[in-house]
Amino acid sequence: MSKWPEKVQEIIDDFSEALDQMERYEMLFEYATEIDELDVSEWTNKTRVVGCQSEAHIIVEFSENGFHLRGSSDSQIIQGLMSITAIVLEGLTPEEVTGFSPNFVSEMKVLETLTPNRANGFLNMFMRIQDDAREQLG
Amino acid sequence: MDLISDMSEARSQFPILERILPNGKKLIYLDNAATSQKPSSVIDAMNEYYTGYNSNVHRAVHTLSGEATEAFELARQSVADWFGLPTGGMVLFTSGTTDALNLCALGWGKVNLNSGDAIVLTEMEHHSNIVPWQMLAKEKNLELRWVDVNPETYELDLDDYISKIKGAKLACIIHTSNVLGTRNPVENLVKLAHDSGAKIILDCAQAAAHEKLDMEKLNADFLAVTSHKMCGPTGIGALLISPGIFEEMEPVVGGGDMITEVFKEYSIYQENEHRFEAGTPRIAEAIGWSAAINWMRKLDMDAAHKHTLKLAKNAADGLRKIPGIKIYGDHSKDDVSGVVSFLHESLHAEDIARMLDSMGIAVRTGHHCAQPLMRRLDVTATNRASFYFYNTLEESNAFVDALKIIVERFA
Repeated sequence: MSKWPEKVQEIIDDFSEALDQMERYEMLFEYATEIDELDVSEWTNKTRVVGCQSEAHIIVEFSENGFHLRGSSDSQIIQGLMSITAIVLEGLTPEEVTGFSPNFVSEMKVLETLTPNRANGFLNMFMRIQDDAREQLG
Repeated sequence: MDLISDMSEARSQFPILERILPNGKKLIYLDNAATSQKPSSVIDAMNEYYTGYNSNVHRAVHTLSGEATEAFELARQSVADWFGLPTGGMVLFTSGTTDALNLCALGWGKVNLNSGDAIVLTEMEHHSNIVPWQMLAKEKNLELRWVDVNPETYELDLDDYISKIKGAKLACIIHTSNVLGTRNPVENLVKLAHDSGAKIILDCAQAAAHEKLDMEKLNADFLAVTSHKMCGPTGIGALLISPGIFEEMEPVVGGGDMITEVFKEYSIYQENEHRFEAGTPRIAEAIGWSAAINWMRKLDMDAAHKHTLKLAKNAADGLRKIPGIKIYGDHSKDDVSGVVSFLHESLHAEDIARMLDSMGIAVRTGHHCAQPLMRRLDVTATNRASFYFYNTLEESNAFVDALKIIVERFA
């Protein structure tokens, strides 16, 4: 049995079956179109994900339906990863979001490393989402 | 001695260039402006130090310490010779160019600049030649004057420099731009600075990799240089000071090796280079840098630079033919470095760099520590491919072909 929820495993499987990295990037470009997009006019210092080489902006929302992510980036790869993150975490509680491992991206084989550094836009974004979730918990 | 003028022979001495990446692609390394690769002789020299005579320098009488001290001080002499240090000048070892510029700001600027004094910077500067001066300006109430870059020609506005240097005490100028590849007319800038009574420091981090610098001819008061962009190890560089500057400087870091005597109430500092090199120095790195200089001595630098330029121009010409790509820099000149900065109108620089990486091609992305220049160019980041003598025409072509594929597939 997979350690990941079904919808996450499906995404991992899709990416794992790609012919090569360029095909995975194509898939990310397609996912980038699926996010609940944050218009550039809504970008502020508060929405900015610090530590990305590209401009990446997110708004984390928790309602009675759980987690929802709006976001956008001028990097399509980052926006694609943002979109997948939105799908993966959609509807989760703040507790579930804070406990969610970002390692699904490693298993998708789209990023070579999840080492924290200034170039790792995905990890900075994911940590920011978890920080926002922690704030919800008080 | 016959110089190496065949660049394929030069390349064969850099083992890393045969690297196969985890994705099975052969490495095409085009990030040389960030750091160069190292020839076997440099790696061997550092290995020999650690396996044969690793010891702390200067303060012991045993054999190993003597050998290490001799090699370390020979490295200093090697740096002095290579950069044409004038008689009476000094090589102050630092951790790199950034550290050298900070040493200049704190060791010389803090002592000699006073409230209201002006420093001239350019919009082309690397952050390393901006932030130390901003910090000093804040502390000492100094004026920072900025010389414009022309975003069409990618050159400094010389008239603006002439205007800004008047009455200034110091000019802090990048010799060769890490973003544009532009070689500034440093000989003229030095003369203009001196004519108006200002001292001048040249940031030669990029320049030292591409041309044989001669401090005596340049006549600058300070040169900031680093090892790792000219085939040497990381972690070491130097502030080269012209005769008479030593007496105007105060030490910045206190500790062992920089003193002659320490009392409870005060200390007496060394009257030589060690005054500015507190603590155990970078011994292996100095020996490695010296080996890199020895290696560069065998290289036909003119042939190497011509080859580098040919590859950069080939890439720039190829990129210009790809729809949506803009090049930042003028590759029609013969004195530019091997840098090709570019952007695509719809594909983000970071995405392009990741895709190139998946094809085995290493380029750099970002603001390249030159945000004032980025703003002048009206961009936030660029891609930067930077060539060096050991790159090949095949690699330059492969880079252009990869860009074509990326743009056709994703733009």
